[in-house]
Amino acid sequence: MKMFDEKKIEELKKKEFEWMDRTKNDPGAEKVLLGGSGIPLKRIYTPSDIADMDYERDINFPGVAPYTRGIYPTMYRGKLWTIRQFSGFNTPEETNKRFKYEYESGQTGFSIAFDSVTESGIDSDDPRAKDDVGAGGVHVDYLGDMEAMFADLPIDRVTTSVTISPWPAIPITATYFNMAKDRGIPLSELDGTTQNDFLLFTCCCHLIDQVPPHNLIRFCVDLVEWCAQNVPKWHPVSFASYNYRENGITAYQELGFLFANEIAYIEEELKRDRLKIDDFAPVFSYHLSSHNDFFEEIAKFRAARRMQYKLMKERYGAKNPKAYLLRFHVQTAGSTLVYHQPLNNAVRVAYQALAAAIGGVQSMHATSYDEPVCLPTDQSVLLSIRTQQILQNDMNIPAVADPLGGSYYVEWLTNEIEERAWEYLQKIEDRGGLVNCVESGWVHREFFRAMNDHLREIKSGEKKIVGENCFRMDYEPYEIPIFHPNPEDTLDIQIKKIERLRKERDNKKVERLLDELKVVTERYENVVPTVMKTIKAGATIGEVCDVWRDVYGIWKIPLPV
Amino acid sequence: MIKPIKVLMAKPGLDGHDRGIKVVSRGLTESGFEVIYAGLWNTPEMIVETAIQEDVDVIGLSILSGAHDVLIPAITGALSERGLLENVVVLVGGTIPLEDFDLLKRSGVDDIFIPGTTISEIANMIKKLVKDKLGKEV
Repeated sequence: MKMFDEKKIEELKKKEFEWMDRTKNDPGAEKVLLGGSGIPLKRIYTPSDIADMDYERDINFPGVAPYTRGIYPTMYRGKLWTIRQFSGFNTPEETNKRFKYEYESGQTGFSIAFDSVTESGIDSDDPRAKDDVGAGGVHVDYLGDMEAMFADLPIDRVTTSVTISPWPAIPITATYFNMAKDRGIPLSELDGTTQNDFLLFTCCCHLIDQVPPHNLIRFCVDLVEWCAQNVPKWHPVSFASYNYRENGITAYQELGFLFANEIAYIEEELKRDRLKIDDFAPVFSYHLSSHNDFFEEIAKFRAARRMQYKLMKERYGAKNPKAYLLRFHVQTAGSTLVYHQPLNNAVRVAYQALAAAIGGVQSMHATSYDEPVCLPTDQSVLLSIRTQQILQNDMNIPAVADPLGGSYYVEWLTNEIEERAWEYLQKIEDRGGLVNCVESGWVHREFFRAMNDHLREIKSGEKKIVGENCFRMDYEPYEIPIFHPNPEDTLDIQIKKIERLRKERDNKKVERLLDELKVVTERYENVVPTVMKTIKAGATIGEVCDVWRDVYGIWKIPLPV
Repeated sequence: MIKPIKVLMAKPGLDGHDRGIKVVSRGLTESGFEVIYAGLWNTPEMIVETAIQEDVDVIGLSILSGAHDVLIPAITGALSERGLLENVVVLVGGTIPLEDFDLLKRSGVDDIFIPGTTISEIANMIKKLVKDKLGKEV
């Protein structure tokens, strides 16, 4: 269904040209302005910019292909987005206290931040871990730690994002699954997410002693494959383009990498010839950034939904409508926050959260204003929760889906972002797909170039950032409380727990299961069932990962220069 | 000809966020410094050993994990034990709250760079400190 009459568009184009000409000497008329991703912007957008659009083909209704306007017919009227702050520090017991505080403040989902030691699949008694156990995230060594973190919290009613790297994702998720089973919650009913993102922990943030990327993708997909069959409400991957974006890339590169990563998972599963696309694509979930260019971000969320539909329908021939839906979490962009005048960040976060809300998000983390300075305090976390609740309650956002749909500018920008994202995706495909691009160091170079460009733009003043390259002050006008997690005791506590664990568990059984895991790994069978048993028997995360290090060796990360 | 200032760039601990250290390392190289890039996952001992072997003027440490209050004194302590603390400029960059500056400086750190600092600000401070602390011509 074409939206505009062709003759009238021709007439309008002439009039627009005349208007542009007539006003060309007005202040600012000739300025070339770029959007946040470097896309040149006109002064005004009219029907002539979207004259080729077909309402049903390109936009349509919420819950109807191509899902540009949202994935559910009633959107927030039916279900508000989940308020899910990412948090964790020190011991699981300490994190449990923070989770309870968040739950009592009206948070509707959890997201676990792990320390770099857990992310690396290393136990707290590894000598290299001593200064990092519990720093910047919570530490988990074994099943008992996950139980402590969720003591007295209703995991059957509140969903959790197990925000962990793919490297220990299977044993860590196994601690959560075993805990749920022990509490009498059937896995068939368990709802939540494991981040399990391949690109994030090979290119954005690096882990010591991780297996090479072409082996890592196998574990990523093992979890997807097993959950798709056994834990159908669980999202065993959350493609975290948020983290790719934090490297300074553009909105359309973010989507290019997002779909390149999704394709890598799909291709790994399809080559095994065990499941069909309709069996596993419905469990995928996504984690996007909400960055600074307000309208561009909204356009990006809309474009992402349409691209997901086309990818699944046209390229993979999916028939299950659940595979078409891009259900996504948003994190407001931490890298846009400024160290100086930190309270200003609360305003940035609120606008970015508004863009996500308008963009049709399913779950959100509103970053805390103090994050460039320290881990968030109780107060700054509360403000992040309240920021979202104000959007949900005071501002009448939930009443109408996709309120900017039909805006000439936003529709044009949605098309523009989509087109550029497909082009960028093609670049990755032309280089043999994402796994190859990671191993060759191409992705590292792309990210590095993007970050250097970004810094150059800030230095030259092309990009203005309040408090950083304009409106600076030579003193700090706001006094904010600083959070000191003091993780010092965490190491002792965790090491004592491991010592006790090794005394109390059936060590022979654990050894037997670890041997079994090695065999299963070498046979290229799905490792999840064996890891579930091994974790249940009391194995640590590090012991499980060591089996895989033995089989595959350690990856040497390419340097971008 | 004056020898270029030699800077060792390292991230202590297991935190894998290396965007900042890579960008600063590149920026310093472009500004004429000789950069030894030790990168990720350094123990205090590894940092001290490399500093001695490479005979560096400056050690730049990047920390984003919040563990600076433990890791930095461990490194300055190790430098001090080897009698090196007086002969090298020690710099820290990352998410360091202002109220922790004193603690780090008391442990022997010469200056701290917070997010938003430009490469030229870092380069100028390095030159000043190498001249003032090490008495070298720059």
